[in-house]
Amino acid sequence: MALDAVDVSKHVTGPAGRIDILDSVTLRVAYGESLAIVGASGSGKTTLLGLLAGLDTPSSGRIHMDGHPLHDGDEETRAALRRQLVGFVFQSFHLMPALSAEENVMLPLELDGATEARSRAREALDAVGLTPRRGHFPHQLSGGEQQRVALARAFVNQPRILFADEPTGNLDRHTGSDVCDLLFQLNHAHATTLVMVTHDVSLAERCMHVAELDEGRLREPA
Amino acid sequence: MNLIRLSLRTLRREWRLPELRTLGAALVLAVAALGVVATLSARVEQGVTASAAELIGGDLGVSASSPLPREFANHARAQGLAVSRIATFPSMAFASSSNQLVDVTAADRAYPLRGKLTIRKAEGSPVIDAHGPARGTVYLDHRALNDLGLTPGQSVQLGGITLRIAGQMVSQPDGGQLVAMAPVAVMNLADAQAAGLLGTGSRAGHKLLVAGAPPATKAFASWVKPKLAPGQHLLTPQSSQQRMRESFDRAGAFLRLTALLAALLAGVAIALAAQRYARRKTDEVALLRALGTPRRRVLGLLTGTLVGLAVPALLIGMGLALGLSQLAWQLAGNLLTSAPTTLPWLPTLAAAAVGLAVLAGFALPPLAHLAEVPPVAVFQRSQQRRVHRIDLLYLLPVLVATGLIWMQSGSNQLGPILAASLAGVVVVALLLSAIMLWLARRLAPNAHPGLRLGLAALSRRRGLSLVQATALSLGLTALLLLGVVAPSLLQSWRNELPADTPNWFVLNLQDNQRADFIKTLHSLGADRLNMLPLAVGKLVSINGTPVDKMHLEKGDAKHWANRQLRLSWSARLPSSNKIVAGTWQGADPSRPMVSIDERWRDMFGLKPGDHMTFQVGEATLDTEVSSVRKVDWSSFQVNFFLLLDAAHAGALPHTWIASFHLPRGQSQALSGVVRKDPNLSLIDVNALLNRVRSIIQRVTLAVRWVLGFSLLAGILVLVAALASSAREREHEAALLRTLGAHRSQLRTAAACEFAMLGLIAGATAALGAAGAGTWLARRVFHIEHFVPPLLPLLATAAGAAVIVMLIGLAGTRRVIRSSPLLLLRRG
Ligand SMILES: Nc1ncnc2c1ncn2[C@@H]1O[C@H](COP(=O)(O)OP(=O)(O)OP(=O)(O)O)[C@@H](O)[C@H]1O
Ligand SMILES: [Mg+2]
Repeated sequence: MALDAVDVSKHVTGPAGRIDILDSVTLRVAYGESLAIVGASGSGKTTLLGLLAGLDTPSSGRIHMDGHPLHDGDEETRAALRRQLVGFVFQSFHLMPALSAEENVMLPLELDGATEARSRAREALDAVGLTPRRGHFPHQLSGGEQQRVALARAFVNQPRILFADEPTGNLDRHTGSDVCDLLFQLNHAHATTLVMVTHDVSLAERCMHVAELDEGRLREPA
Repeated sequence: MNLIRLSLRTLRREWRLPELRTLGAALVLAVAALGVVATLSARVEQGVTASAAELIGGDLGVSASSPLPREFANHARAQGLAVSRIATFPSMAFASSSNQLVDVTAADRAYPLRGKLTIRKAEGSPVIDAHGPARGTVYLDHRALNDLGLTPGQSVQLGGITLRIAGQMVSQPDGGQLVAMAPVAVMNLADAQAAGLLGTGSRAGHKLLVAGAPPATKAFASWVKPKLAPGQHLLTPQSSQQRMRESFDRAGAFLRLTALLAALLAGVAIALAAQRYARRKTDEVALLRALGTPRRRVLGLLTGTLVGLAVPALLIGMGLALGLSQLAWQLAGNLLTSAPTTLPWLPTLAAAAVGLAVLAGFALPPLAHLAEVPPVAVFQRSQQRRVHRIDLLYLLPVLVATGLIWMQSGSNQLGPILAASLAGVVVVALLLSAIMLWLARRLAPNAHPGLRLGLAALSRRRGLSLVQATALSLGLTALLLLGVVAPSLLQSWRNELPADTPNWFVLNLQDNQRADFIKTLHSLGADRLNMLPLAVGKLVSINGTPVDKMHLEKGDAKHWANRQLRLSWSARLPSSNKIVAGTWQGADPSRPMVSIDERWRDMFGLKPGDHMTFQVGEATLDTEVSSVRKVDWSSFQVNFFLLLDAAHAGALPHTWIASFHLPRGQSQALSGVVRKDPNLSLIDVNALLNRVRSIIQRVTLAVRWVLGFSLLAGILVLVAALASSAREREHEAALLRTLGAHRSQLRTAAACEFAMLGLIAGATAALGAAGAGTWLARRVFHIEHFVPPLLPLLATAAGAAVIVMLIGLAGTRRVIRSSPLLLLRRG
């Protein structure tokens, strides 16, 4: 099982008292599957994604990634898991502004101490069709191009699970669907497990499963 | 009106931004540091001038070769100034059995207005303060009494009239001259006038002395200056003292140096904070522009915010400056005597003005650039970058810095040297950083992953890294100059007057008294004895032309040509002398030789090879100028304008003059010797020595007070420099965390990055401070053989580098702790 979340809740205590963000969410994602998380704004999608990816810990409940517990253990172990298993795509790309496209793609490999980082980064950039722009910096690229670089970065170390938070949210419909095609294409090619937050119904429909969040609760699929 | 309200609201909203707070703090510190320095130096200068006034007997004087017009004295009195008139002339004094040439001061009863005339009523009675003697009386000094065989109470004939000796003169304001040449008499001015000693044709010099409140004195000086006829000179405390001159100059240079460095440090902090603030505001300004706000209004808003920040900061800074200077005076009141009770406002106001200039100069360029942000930047962040081009506006801080340095440096080379040194520091810092960055690029691919990240981060933020390294280097240089080099310079200055500096002089020692006197001195524990022969003679001719036939233009030359000259000789070149032209004559030249001081070269246009003929007693000596010497007149040693060669001058009629150091508490015993050998004349220069020492002490005090501020300003520079990349770093760290970076990877990266910055700054600053220190020591402070304290410099620089690294690491702790989820949320 790629992801196994049981009875996961998350609450924070703000100035106005306790806020329940997630309430007893249980879901499983098997290897090779794809899951779309949908829901109204503020329903807790990003929070759930963060928990599943091991970026944060739940207030209660258990989450396992590839059989490793994410709910206890320290940030260092979770970071190691992320390094080995996970790739990310963000709504606003989050490329390193000071790094060229190629260097951005090299980053996960470098962090893992992998060899031949450069040649593998070039291959990944080639796969998203950006070989001619590899020396350019993020501010020299359009939004769609930046997201393609982000895709190359997400896939370069062949993660088993890919997390995406509204990957097309900042792009126009046309570019968005291009990026989307690319995402699913890469997903198939690498047989990656995909967990994606999206508002886009057509995008959600391309996933095998859809989970809908409503004020922190998982609504049973219709 | 609207704009002002909007600016204030912006200010209130943005007050929590660290950039703006750094800006405010830097401004407060700048004004406070400058204000304290300015107020303290005003006070130190007042003290120094006052002590100088004690040496000329008034706050200001006019000297002339003929009686001064009544109008001068009347005007001074009308200004509320105290007035005293004196005349000086040589005259023969007659006792029943002997006669003696004495230097006479004819003074009115007001003399001296400043300083002290002290006398003894009778041999062995206590020393008391006195004023010009009453009519019919005279004070004679020990030598005159001894030479004439008289004691107080007896009569003496001076200038044709008989005067009763009312006391033995012990000391008088003597213009700071170390040793009077002839015996001295002080008589009443009216007596001298009545006796016709001061009429035209007499050789008397006349002085009008005034004293009073500084503004009135100043007003009198500017009133009288244009009225001065040829032969009349203004006599100011500053100008009259050869020996103290150097000390005053040094003191001023020290104070200006500290003020400058403090201001520059604050300037660097302001520049960094403003740059960072501008960067932070870019999005907002782009939005404003996109919403249709005209550029002028954006600029107005920014300026308004800045002014809103500046006004309270300036007020706080001024308050701090005034409060702290007051505190300094209270804590060190004994050093800052003769202080007025009211706080001088002017220096603090001036400091505020300079602070404002620094703010405008350093903060406006990045903010003005902000107004240039094009509206499209809302969509394309790449457009924002284009704004960071270099243009003329960036000359403004350079201009302000230059103006500041120029303003503060006065006439000496302090400013240019400091500017050149700091420019050198910038160049070295840039060069070193460029090399390091290049190396980082080269090394990164093969390095340990953490190290690789750090190196990569540095070289990828190249522009920012260069700015950080340069700012840190400049800040650290200023700190090292203030904290390490300045104290060591002060120490070197103190060392020039070590505890065993000669503090006594003896005159009139005869050949047959020498051996005994030396023995006595040894028994009293005296050391550093330096004894030179002294002959008194006249200059007869130069290159065969008699001096009275020569057409001498310079007043000084005329004066010296007519005067009794002090001649000495020595086989070796005395220690505080340096040959600047020709060669030292040695012990035994084949012809009679003379070595002259620079001043004589300038007065008479002499050069080596010229001939000078002197008459000493009955003998005439025709000499050739062997060399020109530069004499350090501030060394407390016996020095002469004219040094003959020992072989040919040895036979001239002479006495001996000696300087030596006598341990404290032995002066009573020394007086015993004089009673045994009454022809000897002893001069105590401890008072003069103490005067110089107290100047050093005052300066040390002022430097120490400013150092505290500068340390604060330095820390501010450090924080501002490191914070300037904090936002980028935070984003980077969160992203790296999300991608699974180890904590240790982040830490190594940060450590390596900051270690490199620290290393560059430390090395550059140690180098810069040592270089600038040596240069300043030579050219501005005239401290020969100054060796910069290399070990403390290196140690401090290394310490600073470590601190940079630690602060950097402490900054990353927060970043490492924060949840990587941040990134998803920011999306
Ligand atoms: N640290 C926090 N403190 C307080 N409230 C929080 C915190 N984190 C999240 N929330 C709240 O939890 C709720 C869910 O947030 P979340 O970002 O997961 O929503 P979302 O479904 O991703 O919304 P959107 O579609 O707008 O991105 C929101 O109401 C948010 O305000
Ligand atoms: Mg969200």
